[in-house]
Amino acid sequence: MKRILIVDDAATVRMYHRNILETAGYAVEEAVNGIEALEKSLQQSFDLFVVDINMPKLDGYGFLRELRSQDVAQAPAIMVSTEAESNDHIRAYAAGANVYMVKPVKPDQLLINVKLLIGEACL
Amino acid sequence: MAFIKTHSAQSISEDERKQPRNCENLEAELDNPNPTTRRWAARDLVDCPKASVALVSHLEQEEDVSVREVILTSLTTLGDEVAVAGLVNCLSSEGVALRNEAIEAMKQLPDEVAPIMRKLLADANPDVRIFAVNILESLRHPDVEAWLIEVIENDPHLNVCATAVDLLGEVGSFAAKEPLLRLKARYFEEPYIQFAADLALKIINED
Repeated sequence: MKRILIVDDAATVRMYHRNILETAGYAVEEAVNGIEALEKSLQQSFDLFVVDINMPKLDGYGFLRELRSQDVAQAPAIMVSTEAESNDHIRAYAAGANVYMVKPVKPDQLLINVKLLIGEACL
Repeated sequence: MAFIKTHSAQSISEDERKQPRNCENLEAELDNPNPTTRRWAARDLVDCPKASVALVSHLEQEEDVSVREVILTSLTTLGDEVAVAGLVNCLSSEGVALRNEAIEAMKQLPDEVAPIMRKLLADANPDVRIFAVNILESLRHPDVEAWLIEVIENDPHLNVCATAVDLLGEVGSFAAKEPLLRLKARYFEEPYIQFAADLALKIINED
């Protein structure tokens, strides 16, 4: 079973994403900020990250930049944010995200991106 | 390594007190190239009643996280009109870290932030309105629920409402029930709103 780490400080968002992903058959772990996500991703293996940008302690950019600089297996990442009108998508890709999505994500759109990034679907 | 640390600690202590600690000197030291000196200056400026102007003007340009943290702590302690206005400005910053730090600082100032909360929640920039809702998360103030209800009833931006619903799940009472149902009806095609509002209603009903 593919493993996905959801990184978001909002409990409701984590529950929403977990609900979508578990219903689709993925195993889900959660982290509430970039620091916790980094600890988990260095201890465990994940097939994908779903990462919020705005988080206390270490934001999504910081988490991805730090993760990408580590000598560990690199899983793809979907970065999600509420900010549709800023340059966040550019900074997300620069930090190492593979896909940028604006919250709130639609279940089918999230699953399409997950499947593409995990290699379970093709364009 | 231990030697370097000891030496460094001594230098900090000596540097700190080398200059006379009057307010004018401390403000000037905010521009010192040495972050340690800037950090001490930012810390000591908390005793200068008019220091908020200098601290605020330095905040956005400060790149050292530890200095920024001390500036925010001093601004939070000063808590005057200039300090709060400076923190509000940070909400529009492109820097995610600075924005988050400002949000955390503003959560510590319920009495000072409360009078401007309505203005923040009416800001033209939806991102600022979202950050304002984030501030409400820890702002221990009796009007928090009323503000959140106002947001979900009136705010035209989906994500502002979504952020408010998350919080209503935590602080909402029976008064939030009808507004949540109206929000669900307004965004009947938005799965997240349906999910979050249902969750909030469930928690409210259980209470």
